[in-house]
Amino acid sequence: MVQPKKKRVWDLPTRLFHWLLVLAFALAWATYDDSRHLDIHTISGYTFFALLLFRLVWGVVGSHYARFSEFNYTPGEVLSYLHSLFGDGTKYYIGHNPAGAWAIFILITLGLLLSTTGLIVLGGEEQQGLLAGYISFDQSEPFRMLHEMIAWGILTLVIVHVSGVIIESLLQRENLIGAMFRGTKWVVGESAMVPAHRLIASLIFISAIIWGGLSLNTYLISSDDQPYQPFKGPSLAMNDLWNEECGACHLAFHPSLLPARSWQYLFTQQENHFEEDLMLDEETLSELLNYARENSAEKNKTEAAWKINRSVMKNERPLKITSITYWKEKHSEISDAIWQKKSVQSKSNCGACHFDAEQGTFQDSAMKIPD
Amino acid sequence: MKKLVLMLSTVVLSLAINMQAQAGNVETLQSEYQAAGAGNFSASNGEKMWVKNNLDKKSGKQRNCQTCHGKVLTQSGKHARTGKVIEPLARSVNSERLTDIKFMKKWLKRNCKWTIGRECSAQEKGDFLEYLKGQ
Ligand code: HEC
Ligand code: HEC
Ligand code: HEC
Repeated sequence: MVQPKKKRVWDLPTRLFHWLLVLAFALAWATYDDSRHLDIHTISGYTFFALLLFRLVWGVVGSHYARFSEFNYTPGEVLSYLHSLFGDGTKYYIGHNPAGAWAIFILITLGLLLSTTGLIVLGGEEQQGLLAGYISFDQSEPFRMLHEMIAWGILTLVIVHVSGVIIESLLQRENLIGAMFRGTKWVVGESAMVPAHRLIASLIFISAIIWGGLSLNTYLISSDDQPYQPFKGPSLAMNDLWNEECGACHLAFHPSLLPARSWQYLFTQQENHFEEDLMLDEETLSELLNYARENSAEKNKTEAAWKINRSVMKNERPLKITSITYWKEKHSEISDAIWQKKSVQSKSNCGACHFDAEQGTFQDSAMKIPD
Repeated sequence: MKKLVLMLSTVVLSLAINMQAQAGNVETLQSEYQAAGAGNFSASNGEKMWVKNNLDKKSGKQRNCQTCHGKVLTQSGKHARTGKVIEPLARSVNSERLTDIKFMKKWLKRNCKWTIGRECSAQEKGDFLEYLKGQ
């Protein structure tokens, strides 16, 4: 009877990679579809991407069991491995078993696709990130769907992977999840020497800390007067006359928030503007209308403009931004209690929650529900 | 040094002229109202009207000038319908107040209509200004 020996199988960088990847994916998952935390989503996304790139390199130069060549199994080997799970007992692998190996290759591929589609959506829909300016709103549209589908694919695979690990742990009577923390396994017979690679691991660890700190430090230094705005929108055309005439009773809503036909209609109704009289003379009116037309939602200068314009039927000319489907959807989760707060009071009081309401950019994350 | 003195005195002078002109605008508007038939203006009448409640039949709610401008004129108010902050009306804290004739006319017309339900007379408008300019 050969006594099993406790041996290091997973080097430190591989373990760090593994758990940081889990963390990044979980954070990105928790913040998807939530504009207020898009910054967290993108920071985790970039981290995820960088980790995968590191793993590609590590798969070539890393220690024995981390190398791709070590777990480069054929589909036939995967099948016979799976078969053996239901048979007389499993063939024992010190490193990754064939099924796990394939899960890893597929995960890395999907992960790289997830990162690229993410960058494309960020560049197109938000005009932010590495690809900002190269992709239009419309072009990025299909990639959004793709991005979501890939993410679901990864989640499914993760579930399969974790189940596999649990099954293997039971069969081998060894806690394999723990092994991914400790790095060691009980090995019978010969196994390859695996150095810890502490230096490289500390470099990864330190860069993660610095990157996290740099990304999040703006949260620490922000105050009520200078709220944190991770995404800056484009600087939109401003007009003093507009801000003066339309900014006294409420926020001077930027023209990009309604289509041109709505503005035109609003001005023909000027004596009865939500029961107020705008009292604009001919000359003022025509300057305001010109400015509104030149910067209306159709011009697609911001994400909000683009989405508002898509959301209004061509035969409609709504007078209220707050009556538009897109606006209603985006604000559907805000409770009545919040709308009735003294600091909010009206749905049209955009500035109560959006820090960049005056600039008209309505960027993701530039918002806070008042407490 | 000479330059600095010159610059400073220009600034002071222009400020003084500016303030003179600003202070003058309310008076100019008030004399316009007098020309339209108003008598002497009374700050206490202005104040009484400022806080007097008017029932709005449609909403069933009471309205007065404080509804938007707030109870304390040296502090900012809040637009009753939109929630937008309105800067303080008192000139002691907001030197830009009551400096533009067109602006005052427009808002007096609009706010009287909304608050009282009708336009104000020349006398009433002058009284409001008399009250406000002392704040
Ligand atoms: C005398 C006050 C007053 C002025 C001046 C004024 N508005 Fe309004 N406006 C209102 C009120 C009151 C509402 C209704 C707000 C609400 O229901 O929350 C409103 C609503 C709106 C809305 C719809 C907001 C929503 O709920 O989506 C738009 C758009 C708008 N105004 C545009 C303008 C423009 C453009 C101008 C300048 C030409 C202007 N307003 C000037 C009082 C004013
Ligand atoms: C009570 C606070 C509040 C008010 C008032 C408010 N918003 Fe919002 N708004 C939010 C929140 C919170 C979100 C994020 C919703 C989400 O992502 O699920 C949001 C999202 C948005 C978005 C989408 C941003 C993006 O890129 O995803 C736009 C555009 C927007 N608001 C415009 C407006 C406009 C225009 C007004 C005024 C007419 C307004 N909002 C008033 C809280 C508010
Ligand atoms: C529905 C809200 C509302 C009510 C009620 C209201 N005001 Fe105003 N008032 C405004 C707004 C909005 C402005 C212009 C914005 C600003 O000046 O900051 C204004 C401006 C003024 C100005 C111009 C100030 C200047 O600097 O020239 C005067 C004067 C004024 N209001 C008087 C009154 C009087 C008198 C009443 C009562 C009869 C009244 N207001 C009631 C909203 C209101």
